[in-house]
Amino acid sequence: MRVLVVEDEKKTASFVRKALQAEGFAVDVCHNGDDALAAARATPFDGIVLDIMLPGRDGLSVLRQLRERKNATPVLLLSARGEVNERVEGLNAGADDYLPKPFELAELVARVRALTRRSGENKSTILRVADLTLDTVTHRAQRGGADIELTAREYRLLEFLMRSPGRLCGRMMILEKVWDYDFDPGTNLVDVYIRRLREKIDAAFATKLLHTVRGSGYLLKDQP
Amino acid sequence: MTIRTRLSLWYATIMFVALMVMGVLLYYQIIIEPREHAHKHPERHNTEQANDEDMFEDVTGIVMWCVIPAVLLSIGGGWWFMKKSLAPVARLTQAAEKISAFNLAGRLPRTGNGDELDRLTEVFNGMLGRLDDSFNRTREFTLHASHELKTPLTILCGETETALRDATLTSAERERAASLLDELRRLARIVDGLTLLAKADAGQVALKLEPVRFDELVRDNFADAQILAEPQGIRVELTACEEITLHGDRHRLRQLLLNLADNAVKYNQPQGRVTMSLCRDGDLAELTVANSGAGIPPEILPRVFDRFFRGDPAHSQAVDGSGLGLSIVQWIVSAHGGTIQIESLPSGLTTVTVRLSLGAAAKTA
Repeated sequence: MRVLVVEDEKKTASFVRKALQAEGFAVDVCHNGDDALAAARATPFDGIVLDIMLPGRDGLSVLRQLRERKNATPVLLLSARGEVNERVEGLNAGADDYLPKPFELAELVARVRALTRRSGENKSTILRVADLTLDTVTHRAQRGGADIELTAREYRLLEFLMRSPGRLCGRMMILEKVWDYDFDPGTNLVDVYIRRLREKIDAAFATKLLHTVRGSGYLLKDQP
Repeated sequence: MTIRTRLSLWYATIMFVALMVMGVLLYYQIIIEPREHAHKHPERHNTEQANDEDMFEDVTGIVMWCVIPAVLLSIGGGWWFMKKSLAPVARLTQAAEKISAFNLAGRLPRTGNGDELDRLTEVFNGMLGRLDDSFNRTREFTLHASHELKTPLTILCGETETALRDATLTSAERERAASLLDELRRLARIVDGLTLLAKADAGQVALKLEPVRFDELVRDNFADAQILAEPQGIRVELTACEEITLHGDRHRLRQLLLNLADNAVKYNQPQGRVTMSLCRDGDLAELTVANSGAGIPPEILPRVFDRFFRGDPAHSQAVDGSGLGLSIVQWIVSAHGGTIQIESLPSGLTTVTVRLSLGAAAKTA
């Protein structure tokens, strides 16, 4: 998987590159819009992380140019302005996702991962992690053959986590996908739900599946 | 007493006194003088005695039938005249009443005739201009400051998170980095809140208005509130939830509900209670969120919506938050053309009441 990071702020570009490389991505970095267009023309990328505020040609203009050239590479927009209107504008211009600054690195990595594997997403109706299964049609959750009662929200949270097993999921991304919040509520809502979910799926079992990574997010995996 | 009444009364009194003086003079001229004249010529006395009495009645009649209507007329006329001449003052007052910190761009209409009131309007408009300018500068400053903070914050958060991923860290180092990251994120949320409010002040936040089933959002929020309250053993109740559709911005309304619920839990006591309800009141949706707890002293109650306002410094240390939650709630309510009220009883029961219009389209703010 090869990703292009377009960010004029050198330090930000550097840690984004490191984080993506740590996840196994090959990363190219550009510091302005024109270079980005040239790079995207020369190399077929699997995804582009594009800052909106760039010197010269801005991110939205780069995005429009790409789409005009029928380049369908998935694009994640970054913005320091974080306006609701900007998000809508970006998505209308053909972006696939949008992340306001300051973002959580785990968040960014999770989103890039989601973008680049979008086509190959797990479409099975039965999700499975170790002995935990979730039927996305009947909404039935089982572990070790025993049924687990879930509220609607818990179900959505579990489904979200089970769709990317072994991968770190950021708090903002969970709030966005499970709660449909476009703002950071500044509450420990996600923590509390995770705790409840953990009681239901992990409490009675020796092997814990749901893990919290301090400062980064949550993940569901079958090895400790 | 209004200036108009006062002037009219003065005017009527002067008029009355003037007419009375005139009456007395007339009386003297017509009755007394001829009579004295008659004393000097007693031979005409008898015939003129009767004449005198007629004249006296005539004068009384004149005074009765002319002076009183004249006074009444002058009161009425004066009243009308005052209204006409004071109308620009009334207009000025009305226009000035409509001006608040959020629409300082408005100016009072000038008559342009160069009179005292026109001059006053001009001076007033000048003052508004300067006020507007300084308010705008403060807003721009906040907006720019919050933008400027975002880049270094992004770097700080990113670098700390990168450091946290370093597998060679000892657990103490990891703990320190994680704690640092928590505080950085809190700072990031404060900056986010500030940006939102600064933009809202500048009228740069457009709401995405659509018909919203508010009761569904309230039910949804009720479920979240129960979860948030559970760790402290707080009981959450939804006593009423009528079906209500209103014209609003779904995301901002959810933010409003979550902020209120979060506050009701945070400023509560262990084993306390939170009671929510949604009712229809005429063409208004009335949402109340009440919580038990320490209560809010009446002297600080009006200030709880102020940005970064912390009531009791001893208590607030324990409560994590940006200090902007209620300010954001207040903005969301007013952007939807609604009102918000907070009451706190000595028993510690604090109730927030939000009223949103069902029909009228909300304004963008």
